[in-house]
Amino acid sequence: MPAKKRIVGIADLAASADHDEQLVAYSLGSCIGVALYDPVARVGGLLHFVLPDSRMDRKRAETRPALFADSGVPMLLKTAATLGLEAKRSRILAVGGAQVLNAPPSLRVGERNFEVLRKILDELSLSLDTAEVGGTDNRTLFLEVGSGKAGVRTAGGETKYL
Amino acid sequence: MNRREAILATSASARYLPPSRLELLRILHDPDASAGTLTRAIERDPTLTASVLRLANSACFGFPRSVASVADAVWRLGTRNLRQLVLATVVSPMQKQAVKGYDMPPGDMLKHSLAVAVGAEQLGSLLKAPGCNHLFTAGILHDIGKIALGTFVELDARPILELATCEELPFVEAERRVLGIDHAELGAFLADKWNLPDEIVEIVRWHHEPEKLGGRNPAVDLVHVSDALCILGGIGIGTDGLRYRPSEEVCHRLGLTEAATEQQALSMILLGLEDLEGAFC
Repeated sequence: MPAKKRIVGIADLAASADHDEQLVAYSLGSCIGVALYDPVARVGGLLHFVLPDSRMDRKRAETRPALFADSGVPMLLKTAATLGLEAKRSRILAVGGAQVLNAPPSLRVGERNFEVLRKILDELSLSLDTAEVGGTDNRTLFLEVGSGKAGVRTAGGETKYL
Repeated sequence: MNRREAILATSASARYLPPSRLELLRILHDPDASAGTLTRAIERDPTLTASVLRLANSACFGFPRSVASVADAVWRLGTRNLRQLVLATVVSPMQKQAVKGYDMPPGDMLKHSLAVAVGAEQLGSLLKAPGCNHLFTAGILHDIGKIALGTFVELDARPILELATCEELPFVEAERRVLGIDHAELGAFLADKWNLPDEIVEIVRWHHEPEKLGGRNPAVDLVHVSDALCILGGIGIGTDGLRYRPSEEVCHRLGLTEAATEQQALSMILLGLEDLEGAFC
């Protein structure tokens, strides 16, 4: 088990090359946690975004890029690149994007978050290796920087390695 | 005694807040209480006085000169803002604790409650819905039933979660089937026992099933949608996760029909929460 835990809160992101560190995003409801891991550089990154599209508030996207998928993903890649991560050889995972039961059309942000994330990755010629999205679970995503092991935990459930 | 009766009895006898603070809750919601009565009630509680002054001097209010006394705080904040601030301070010790039964770590219930309260107010102005004086308070207190169940009744959530997952039931429905009561009804029972205004009791009671009130109380609708947004945003959610069924009828009634409005509201809630959390740290 890594000795240090670094919590990536809501609308936040982090990158790390510290092999004793674990990056964690708790309580992913409709939000999505995106984890990157470059096994060659042994560098990891984690983004915890809330909303799909920053066009609704450009100013906030500047001060808080991790709030949105379209500003958060490029910022995550940029931050992780400063530590030597190369996106093309990295594993990319996505967890979250859950929905409430029988979500009315105006409350389907989880679904849209995932659609937009895929589109953004596509535009960057990147693709997801694994995704654990949808449903009604409240999930936690973690990434161990030393080993590159990543996993998801649901409330009341077991840890599943991805 | 059946399960429901046992839960009501345990919840009723538990100590959530010191008696002086429960008394203060009543004064805060007494429409006849003057600014002077309110000031004296706050000043009798030194810890509360210190918190009120710290909050009134925090960056979120941005006063150029420091607020030196409770009377000064009443003068500068206005009684409505002050009541809200005092209320949040009065109940925060209860809300800061972990809620074990729902797998919520310390701090998460407070964060969720503040977010729902701020969100209900902001949704009200965004959607131009008629407000109510007790909206913020009701937002803060809407989940007290969870505190009772998750802390004092020592709820085992596993069978409820299993039932809700297998049958795709809203968590409150599964609570009723397993326990004979849900957290909304239990919360309303406590709010009533504390002699809070009927409007607050009603909001706590129906925050998951507002359609049962048929739109008679717009504040119920606002807390319902704000709660749904905070649950979606993962702001202080536990074992129950996203297993709730927000009412489409209420979304329509409030005019929340566009995905863009949902996103705007969620973004506003996060911003409002940042301000308030800063003031509480």
